[in-house]
Amino acid sequence: MTQVAERAGDDTRAALNILEDFAAEMARQAQMHRAIVNILDDAAGERVLLEHERTRLRLSEQVVTNMLEDFADDKNQLVQAQRAMLNLLEDFAATQARADTALVLRETVERLREAQKVAEAANAELDAFSYSAAHDLRAPLRVIDGYSQALSEDFGEHLEVEGRAYLANIRASVRSMTDLIEGLLTLARVTRGSLRLQPVDLSVLARQVVDRLRYLSPERHVNVVMPDGIVAIADRRLILVVLDNLLENAWKFTANRAVANIEFGRRVVDDRMTYFVRDDGAGFEMEFVDKLFGVFQRLHAASEFEGTGIGLATVKRIVRRHGGNIWAEGAVGRGATFSFTIGEEVVA
Amino acid sequence: MNENPILLVEDNAHEEALTIRALKRANIANEVIVARDGVEALEHLFGRSGTVYFPDEGPALILLDLKIPKLGGLEVLRRIRDDEALKLVPLVVLTSSAQEADLIESYRRGANSYIRKPTDFDQFSVAIRELGKYWLVLNEPPPALPSGKRS
Repeated sequence: MTQVAERAGDDTRAALNILEDFAAEMARQAQMHRAIVNILDDAAGERVLLEHERTRLRLSEQVVTNMLEDFADDKNQLVQAQRAMLNLLEDFAATQARADTALVLRETVERLREAQKVAEAANAELDAFSYSAAHDLRAPLRVIDGYSQALSEDFGEHLEVEGRAYLANIRASVRSMTDLIEGLLTLARVTRGSLRLQPVDLSVLARQVVDRLRYLSPERHVNVVMPDGIVAIADRRLILVVLDNLLENAWKFTANRAVANIEFGRRVVDDRMTYFVRDDGAGFEMEFVDKLFGVFQRLHAASEFEGTGIGLATVKRIVRRHGGNIWAEGAVGRGATFSFTIGEEVVA
Repeated sequence: MNENPILLVEDNAHEEALTIRALKRANIANEVIVARDGVEALEHLFGRSGTVYFPDEGPALILLDLKIPKLGGLEVLRRIRDDEALKLVPLVVLTSSAQEADLIESYRRGANSYIRKPTDFDQFSVAIRELGKYWLVLNEPPPALPSGKRS
């Protein structure tokens, strides 16, 4: 590229030198012409005598003028030729640049293909892992749960209260482990496959989640504020996982409130549409806010609030896959607000 | 009530025991023939194991796990549906897999039902009880197809 530009520069300079030589020659000719005219004027007295000669000279003046004009034409032609040459050089440079760019592009595409192959292999491995996790990890759990159940059914009368409590503990742990496996599978799933973006009514999805939560714990008093018609362009299946997790968290962490308040809505933050889930529950220390979205990171003891520590990591991955961001604000005992954006949704 | 034996294709002995226990507790008295892998399942069905476990019309019900050794559940399913005599036997896929591909492929190959085994044993017991009740008591089985076609 640089060499080409230099070559073009050299050629241009050579052409300019030639033009300068032409110009100097033309100046000399004009001077000579003026000198001749002066001499002729001086010999005015001999005008008649010299009329013929003068006419001849005028003729030659004309010839000189013509010659000069011709020079000028030549000069123009040269300038034009120079321009044409420059254009050619520019075209050549551009072609060269295109060729270079094409080469870079080919290499990039090649590298991308390689990366894609690696990614596909990794995905296939992940699929195999998910499959095994789903089957091989769940089967022993079912067996543990099954025999615990069989033991309490068939031999329950031989067990003390304490023994039956032990069996109940085993079964509770099986449930936690099941949740954990399900959570990991969801986490693995959300990073794969392409997003199916379409307008999704988040209000409807959020209401479904809340209805389910109310059904599961009818004893709770929770005020839920949620406007209708919050529509966003998103992958329906994945955004449901987001709302599911955030609303379930809000529900869970307000369990100690006699009357809890949960709000789902949207507002504009820095010209971007921002969706939020807010609660007035247990909250968290802002100091640990970075830990919220890490896998297996928990800010509460399992005995205080149940959970796998996978949900928010999954939520973050989904939001990031949509090109958005998620952040949290909260204070201990004063609730938490989780806000997220989806893609490059800009408010006009 | 269809009193022919049930074929249970399941490689995990504990799961097998718990499934049989759940069937008994649901008062399903049918004999349960167990196959531990895909090849054994086909041998039982097509009589190659030297013992004829089922009458010509086949088992009353086939409970088929998908992830089984030697020959996968989906391949076993295909071979069963390719056979004239076994084409119509009620077959329930009973598996841990919740993979969409498994679901689609199972139905495509002619499974009558697809049950994802719950980890929770109470739910599992309920599933087994309902399954037995539906397929062995409520459901009217297909008539026996001309015999001797099993190959």
